[in-house]
Amino acid sequence: MATSSTALESAARPEEKRAKPPARPYSGALVVVEGIDGSGKSTQLHLLKRWLEVGGYRTYFTEWNSSPLVKSATRRGKRRRLLTPVTFSLIHAADFADRYERQILPLLRSGHLVLADRYIYTAFARDGARGCPIEWLRNLYRFAVVPDVTFYFRAPLEIAIHRILSGRPRIKYYEAGMDLGLSLDPIQSFAKFQGLTLARYDEMVPTDNFVLMDGTLPVHQLQQKMRDVVAEQIELKRYKNL
Amino acid sequence: MTEPVKSDGNPDVTREFVTTPGSGMQTWLGESVPLRPSAGLPTKNRSELSGHLIVLEGTDGSGRSTQIALLTEWLESQGFAVQTMGLRRSFLIAKDIDSLLARNSVTRYTLALMYATDFFDQLENRILPALRSGMIVLADRYYYTLIARAVVRGLDHEYLHRIYELALPPDLTFFLNVRPQVAFEREFQKSPAISFWEAGRDLHLSDDLYDSFISYQTMLRKEFVSLAKHHGFAALNGENPIRTVNADLRKRIASYLGIRNIRYRPSHALVHLWQ
Repeated sequence: MATSSTALESAARPEEKRAKPPARPYSGALVVVEGIDGSGKSTQLHLLKRWLEVGGYRTYFTEWNSSPLVKSATRRGKRRRLLTPVTFSLIHAADFADRYERQILPLLRSGHLVLADRYIYTAFARDGARGCPIEWLRNLYRFAVVPDVTFYFRAPLEIAIHRILSGRPRIKYYEAGMDLGLSLDPIQSFAKFQGLTLARYDEMVPTDNFVLMDGTLPVHQLQQKMRDVVAEQIELKRYKNL
Repeated sequence: MTEPVKSDGNPDVTREFVTTPGSGMQTWLGESVPLRPSAGLPTKNRSELSGHLIVLEGTDGSGRSTQIALLTEWLESQGFAVQTMGLRRSFLIAKDIDSLLARNSVTRYTLALMYATDFFDQLENRILPALRSGMIVLADRYYYTLIARAVVRGLDHEYLHRIYELALPPDLTFFLNVRPQVAFEREFQKSPAISFWEAGRDLHLSDDLYDSFISYQTMLRKEFVSLAKHHGFAALNGENPIRTVNADLRKRIASYLGIRNIRYRPSHALVHLWQ
């Protein structure tokens, strides 16, 4: 591996990481929001982006699953329900790798503040809930740098599920985890699958340095905390537009 | 769609749905969907698999596909059901890899992971079902080729080995070893121009296509030799005449499967391969 700052190593040997901070091969900074659907993370990242843009910082926003490269295969796999836990995970890893190598890493190298709506932890939680071993997943994504700050938005399951179901006419097959056979009823399946995913996220709080955000708090209060943490953890003046 | 709703207006996510077992189908928004027997990880449990997985590895031009055609005919003539498998043949993603390779705009991790997707799709939807039903699967390359190609492009061994540790290892793996110069002659006979990828042109080894081909295939061959040592492949001299290599393969496969008669002459349809 070219970089020593990788997700696998930091999780496998947390004590070593603290003892010897890895050299960063880039001058940018990476801020990530994670959490299950309906946890409020996207709203918060949007507000953070506004704040940074208005403040005159070199900011770039990226989100999970937006690469056109493997879109047709992913669509075919989902529509025809061909995906297994392993191929579901691999096709999304290929998609992430494309975005990472062609977008996220070049932006970090050129000194941007990169804001990511979901990152590798989404795969750890979701594919882990599908039954992929966590060590296998951490290896799969170990080319990706560890974020400077990872906000984990946590809302109680019932609240998150209610937010999603009230805003959407139907839940898609894989989104509901229907491939796992948890229930024949999509709503039941979705709820169970989100519960499994939430449990995987919770397991990562101590190992992956998540900043825990209570998704039930008022929006402006959460946003204030987010801005405070970002200002404290990241030397923002380095990212001022010239 | 009817949603169970509690009195407070929230969907009732605690209500258990009662299913009728035995139908093999599930209902999804009014349409029937087969239950996926493959939900879960691909099995590596031999006791579930009555078939056998035999792999031929080797660089381009090592004679793999010729040998697979001949072995298929021989095994079928011995009464074994044979399924063949090769890289980039999955229904899921093969076409997308083809178009990526054609556009040459793909980065190394993405390509390695798309090949991995293609591999596991075939493993789970083709190879394992065939092995469950007792067939002989003859694989024209397996994950070793994908490891060798990615390693040559700078990805590390451990990264790749750990991805493929979820896959069933072969029962028998043969490595057809040929020098790149010999491989070049054979590839040129097959098609009268060397392709971008066969020559490893993405690695920028040389602007001269012949040099590029030789350098790239030499790097791959080195990886194969090291994989062969670590994983106990049976290495065969792929530069021997086709019928000599084939006799050697038949002898070893026969001993593994317990076939007593290893005599074989190709049918009229394949006799042109018999040199």
